Amino acid sequence: MKEKLKLTEVWFKIVLLFVFSGFYILAIPYPQESGQFPQLLAAISLILTLAALAADFLRAQVTAGEIGDVDDTELKVVDTATRNVRRRRFYQAWAILLVSTGVGYLGGFLFSTVLLFGGFGLAFGRRENLVKNMIVAVAMTVVVYFIFGRIMAVPLLNGVLW
Amino acid sequence: MDVLLQAIAFVLQWQNLAALAGGTVYGIIIGVLPGLGPSAGMALAIPLVMTWHPATALIFMGALYKCSNYGGSLTAILVNTPGDASNAATILDGYPMCQRGMGGVALGLSATSALVGGTIGMICLIYAAPFLADFALEFGPAEYFLTAVLALSLIAAVVQGATIKGLIAAGMGLLLSTVGFDVIAGHLRYTFDWAPVEDGIPLIQALVGLFAVTQALVLAESAASISRLAELSGSFWEGVRTYFRHPLIMVRASLIGLFVGILPGVGQSSAGLLAWADAKRVSKHPETFGEGEPVGVIASETATNSCMPGDLVCTIALGLPGSVGAAVFLGVMIIFGIVPGPLVFMNQPEVIYSLFVALFLTSFLIFIIGMTVARRLAVVTLLPNNVIVPLILVVSLLGSFAIRNEMSDVFISLAFGALGYVMLKGGFTPIPLLLGLVLGEMVETNYHRALLISGGSYSIFYASVICKILILLTILSLVGPYLGPFWKTLTQGEK
Repeated sequence: MKEKLKLTEVWFKIVLLFVFSGFYILAIPYPQESGQFPQLLAAISLILTLAALAADFLRAQVTAGEIGDVDDTELKVVDTATRNVRRRRFYQAWAILLVSTGVGYLGGFLFSTVLLFGGFGLAFGRRENLVKNMIVAVAMTVVVYFIFGRIMAVPLLNGVLW
Repeated sequence: MDVLLQAIAFVLQWQNLAALAGGTVYGIIIGVLPGLGPSAGMALAIPLVMTWHPATALIFMGALYKCSNYGGSLTAILVNTPGDASNAATILDGYPMCQRGMGGVALGLSATSALVGGTIGMICLIYAAPFLADFALEFGPAEYFLTAVLALSLIAAVVQGATIKGLIAAGMGLLLSTVGFDVIAGHLRYTFDWAPVEDGIPLIQALVGLFAVTQALVLAESAASISRLAELSGSFWEGVRTYFRHPLIMVRASLIGLFVGILPGVGQSSAGLLAWADAKRVSKHPETFGEGEPVGVIASETATNSCMPGDLVCTIALGLPGSVGAAVFLGVMIIFGIVPGPLVFMNQPEVIYSLFVALFLTSFLIFIIGMTVARRLAVVTLLPNNVIVPLILVVSLLGSFAIRNEMSDVFISLAFGALGYVMLKGGFTPIPLLLGLVLGEMVETNYHRALLISGGSYSIFYASVICKILILLTILSLVGPYLGPFWKTLTQGEK
C-alpha cells in the first residue's frame, strides 16, 4: 500500500523541532560565550529538521510499513497483528525493566537481578520451561554476583533499605 | 637497535610474559562488559600493579588497554552492543553478519584485524613515533575543529543513508554534549539543577543506553534469538581467509587509524567510523554495507586497532592523551615516575620500548584467544531471548552503575535507551548522535580557542592549507552522495 508520508518519522521530526527550539530558548539567558555555541547548533539543527520535513511532504509516495518497525531485517511490511504482538512485548519488557530497577534501588542488586531474569523468563519464555527459567534466573544472578562482585570487585547496588 | 633487543629480552622474562597474558585476558573481559571500558578497567587494576616494576606495570596496563577494544568488538558483533565508543563502527556490519548466522566469520575477521591492524600500527609506532608527533604539532585549534566537523559529516553521510538525517542526529549529539559546565566560562547549561549531569552527560552511560538497552528492547520485541537462521554457518578460519582477500582495505584502514590516532582528542571511535565510511565509498557495491558486509568489519576493526598505537604516540611523546583511556594510561605512567614527552625516548628508552614490544606481542595473543573461544562465543547468538535480553541488561546496567557508584547513572542509561529506541522507530540511527556526544567538547573548545587566537575573526578557519583541505573534504562528503545520481541524470537524460 502506498502512502504519502512516513508518519512515525514525521512525528519524530516534529518533536525534534520542539526539542531544538527548547535548546535555543533556554540558552537565551546564558552569558554570551556560554550560549553562543548551543544556540548556533540548535539553529542549524532546526533548519535541517525543517528541510527534512519539507522533503517528507514533497516526496511523492512511499510504501507503508517501510519504517515504524525497528526490525527491518525481517519483512519490510509488517502486518497489524505482528505489530500489536511486538508492541505488547515491548511494553512488557519496559515494565519488567522499570520494576526491577525500582526493586534494585530499594532492595539491592540480588533482588533486582532475580526479578529481571525471572520476569523475562515468565513473560517471554515458554510455559513448559517455567521451572527451568526460574532456576536459570537464580543461577545467573549467583554467577553474575560472584564474577562481578567477588572476583572483579565491581561495586554492586546495595539498596536504600539495607 | 640495541635498545630494541634489550626490550625484547626484558619482555620475554616470565614475570613480564605473565603480566602480558594477565593484562590481555583482563582487558578482553573488561571490554566485553558494556560500560566498563579501558579507563575503568585500568583504574580498577591500579591497586594490583602498584608494587610492580614500572615496566611490568606498564606492560600489564598497555595490554589491558589494547585488548579491551577487542573485547568490545565481541559484544558489538554478537549482541549489537559496543563495549566502548571505539567499537561503534563494528556493529554496522558485524551484527548483521551474526543475524545471518555468520558470527564465527565475523569473530575471525575481528581477531585477524586485531592482529594485522595492531601489528602495522605498532611497527609504525616504533619507527615513526618522532615524525608522527611532529606532524601532530601542525594541528592547531582551527584544524582540530574542522577535523571533528569532517568526521561528523562523513559519518552522517554514509551511516544514515540520508545525509540530512545523519546531520540532525549529529546535531542532537553535539547539543547533548553542551549539557553541564561550559568549557569556557564555567556556566551551568541545561542541567535543571540535577547534580549528576553537572559534569556533562556521562558518555559511557549514554553509550550503554543507546546501544545495550536499545538492543535489549529490540530483541525483546522479537520472539527469536539473535541469529535468524537458528544455526551457525561459517568458521573462524573462513573469517581469517576473507580478511586476507582484501589487502587494499587492510592498508587503507590501517593508515586511517594511524592518522586519526596521532591527532589528540579525536579518538578510536572516529577511526573505526571513518575507515568504514571510506571502505563504503570506494566499494563497487556500497549498498551491501550495513547488511553484513565483511569488508565493513575489516575496515572498522583494522582502523580501530591501528589507532591505538597512534594514540600512544601523542600520549607518550607529547603528553597529550587522545582518549579517556589514554588519559588514564598517562596517569599510570606518571604514578610510576615516567614523565611523558620527547625526552622519555632518551631518558627511559628501556621502559618505553618494552611497552612497544609487549603491545606487538599482544596482537598475537588476541588472535590465539579469538581462535580458541570464537565458536563458543558465537553460540550466544543462538540463546533464547528470555535469557540473552536480561543478561545484556544486567551486565550493561551494572557497568553503568559501577563507574560512579550512582543510581542516577542507571536512570541516565535507561533514558538513553528510550531515546535510542524512539530514534530507531523514527528512522534515525544513534551512531551520529554518539559521535556528536564524543566530539562535542572537542568541537566547542577548539571553536572558542580558535576565535580567541584570531581575535574573533573567522578567517582562522580557512587560513592554513590543512584547514582548506579539511573544508574541501567536508563539502565533498556532504554533497558526494548526491553527485553520483545527479551526474547520472545529466549524462543519461530523463527516463
